[in-house]
Amino acid sequence: MEDTEIGAKSLSRREFLAGTAAVIAGGSLLAACGSTGGSGSTPGATSTNYTFVLIQGVKGDPFYVTMQKGAQEMANKLGVTLLVDGPAQFSATLQAPIVDAYIAKKVDVMIIAATDKQAMIAPLMRANDAGIKVISVDTFIGNGDYANGTVTFPLSYIGSDNVQGGKIAGEALIKAIGNKGGIYIENTIPGISTTDQRQQGCIQAIQATNGAVTLVGSNYDNDSSATASQQVSALLSSSKGAQVGGIFGTNLFSAEGAAQAVKNANKQGQIKIANFDAPQQAITDLNNGAVDLVIAQKPAEMGSTAVQYGVYALTGKTSSIQKRVPTGYVVIDKTNVNDPASQAAIYKS
Amino acid sequence: MKVATPNVDQSQPVKAPLKPLDIVSKGWSWLFLLVLVIFFSIFGQGFLNVYNFQTIGADMALVLIIALGETFVIISGGIDLSTGFVMGMASVAAALVMSNLGGRAPLPVVVLAGAAAGLGIGLIPGLINGVIIARLRVPSFIVTLGMYGIARGAGFILSGGQPVSININGVGQIGNGYLLYLLPDGRVSFFHLPSDLQGVRPSQIIQLIPFPLIFLVIVVLISAWLLSQTRFGRHTYAVGGSEEASRRAGIPVVRHTILIYMLSALLASLAGVLYTMRFSNGAADVGDPLLLTSIAAVIIGGASLFGGEGTILGTVIGALIIAIIQNGLIFLGINPFWQFIAVGAVIILAVLVDQTKKQLA
Repeated sequence: MEDTEIGAKSLSRREFLAGTAAVIAGGSLLAACGSTGGSGSTPGATSTNYTFVLIQGVKGDPFYVTMQKGAQEMANKLGVTLLVDGPAQFSATLQAPIVDAYIAKKVDVMIIAATDKQAMIAPLMRANDAGIKVISVDTFIGNGDYANGTVTFPLSYIGSDNVQGGKIAGEALIKAIGNKGGIYIENTIPGISTTDQRQQGCIQAIQATNGAVTLVGSNYDNDSSATASQQVSALLSSSKGAQVGGIFGTNLFSAEGAAQAVKNANKQGQIKIANFDAPQQAITDLNNGAVDLVIAQKPAEMGSTAVQYGVYALTGKTSSIQKRVPTGYVVIDKTNVNDPASQAAIYKS
Repeated sequence: MKVATPNVDQSQPVKAPLKPLDIVSKGWSWLFLLVLVIFFSIFGQGFLNVYNFQTIGADMALVLIIALGETFVIISGGIDLSTGFVMGMASVAAALVMSNLGGRAPLPVVVLAGAAAGLGIGLIPGLINGVIIARLRVPSFIVTLGMYGIARGAGFILSGGQPVSININGVGQIGNGYLLYLLPDGRVSFFHLPSDLQGVRPSQIIQLIPFPLIFLVIVVLISAWLLSQTRFGRHTYAVGGSEEASRRAGIPVVRHTILIYMLSALLASLAGVLYTMRFSNGAADVGDPLLLTSIAAVIIGGASLFGGEGTILGTVIGALIIAIIQNGLIFLGINPFWQFIAVGAVIILAVLVDQTKKQLA
């Protein structure tokens, strides 16, 4: 033991010294690299070949993929280069370094679904200070009022208000259950602003019925349909189960899990299920009767409008830019699923 | 490499002269880092830039600070899975105190009280982890997995499920400030922008050395000193090498283990406080995405999950490799999904190199 200790001590002391020296050497190397890089780079884009980046709230999500498609179509039409990136989780901790990298990459326009309305202010301020045009899609920073609010530097907030969306979902669900009974909310992960706001909106719709419809409860399923299914199964077999007339799933997995549990309990059709967001799977679920309502946002429209606005900003047509563009919702059920408006709202992955 | 090679030579004077393969295996992480930087500099236009390197440094601070604490835990033969949510809980506590004191007390008091609250509350899960692991002899994986959930729940309860925002200008300025500002007219300003900025666009100001980077370097140096220069550090290696032998050699293993988990929680909380300063916000889940990355940094840095091996410098390089890959791939314009594959491959490569090294020795 003594031996190991002495060995570790003498080795580590040298390592420490060498390490300190190496850090200093490494630092000066970086500084040297940096200075050559700094003098060699040319400030600003000289050609009209603009580069845009779309930074999604989370990568791989059908909602954002659809937004990307809308943005890409407009980018092709207007002849701008569109880059797309996003964090692995819906998290400001992971999104901020991506923003910083694109500031260093010197893009002309940054279109972003900010993952936190407060935390992303500072990173996006850095982008704005570097001369990059910032446009919010889906979510906002500050209080969302870019005309007179706490944060005014982004050009526009293009998106649908999730509180309003939750309210629309709640109202549609209340109507579907005959304006009486109880509603249960199956939510994803606590602290995610969009899904929390959908829950908040749904609760507002329930409260507006003045007691005709009650909130039976709510739970978080960690964005897993298996967990959602377990939770709803437990709910349905509990004493509260008889009160449930409708379930609002704040995203696909939550609604699908709830639908599975309802099917297992042989209550399909009796208990109505509303699903927020409209990936193809949600429409399949609607067609085979697993869910009853699908609330669709218009991500493709958000993407294309944002790219259009970016080009307006770069070409001096600022008068065409509105600080707030509400994109709205489409409520899809079995009666209107084949309408062109509904079909256009389905997310493509 | 130049610096590291003679050091390796001197530390084992009795052994045979260094073979080229030895140099590769000892300094592979340095080499790999260098190759990455050169590769991205050549192929990623705009990567090689003062601004970019500064932001890599500032942005990796959170992961690396957690990883420093994890280094001590892993060297001692344990693992701490609770760091991410301890960080989140500390950021919530710091944000709550700062937002409540804001405007009612001078800025330094607000910041220090917030930091004290974050660090103080973060020590509690560390103490509980340490006591259960050391005294009740429950495996660290299980105890800290339990604490992962407890800290997560506590953070959400403290914050009421919503992020806690702080609207105090000075706090964000500390977290996002720079040491030096060079103005286009040749003026130099320390710590903050001069107030008279007529006609100067923000993009014309050169900002040097972000505060989080300075903070990070200080924490790295203290951790390196603690691990390599003190009795605490030597005991950490000893406990990780053999707990039984350490006990017989008179090392207070129980007390030491408790201290290690408290240190890990303290550093995670420090990351939480830094998050609050940089993002003007605290939320229970802000540290969660960093947990596995921080462990990956420690492993790439050469620490053994079986204990007894690892260095602070190794962890720093491990975190740098991950940060450079994540940043560099953006400049190459590669599909972001490749990041996962790249970092995953490096983890396996790191352990393979380590094993080969041992077989050669």
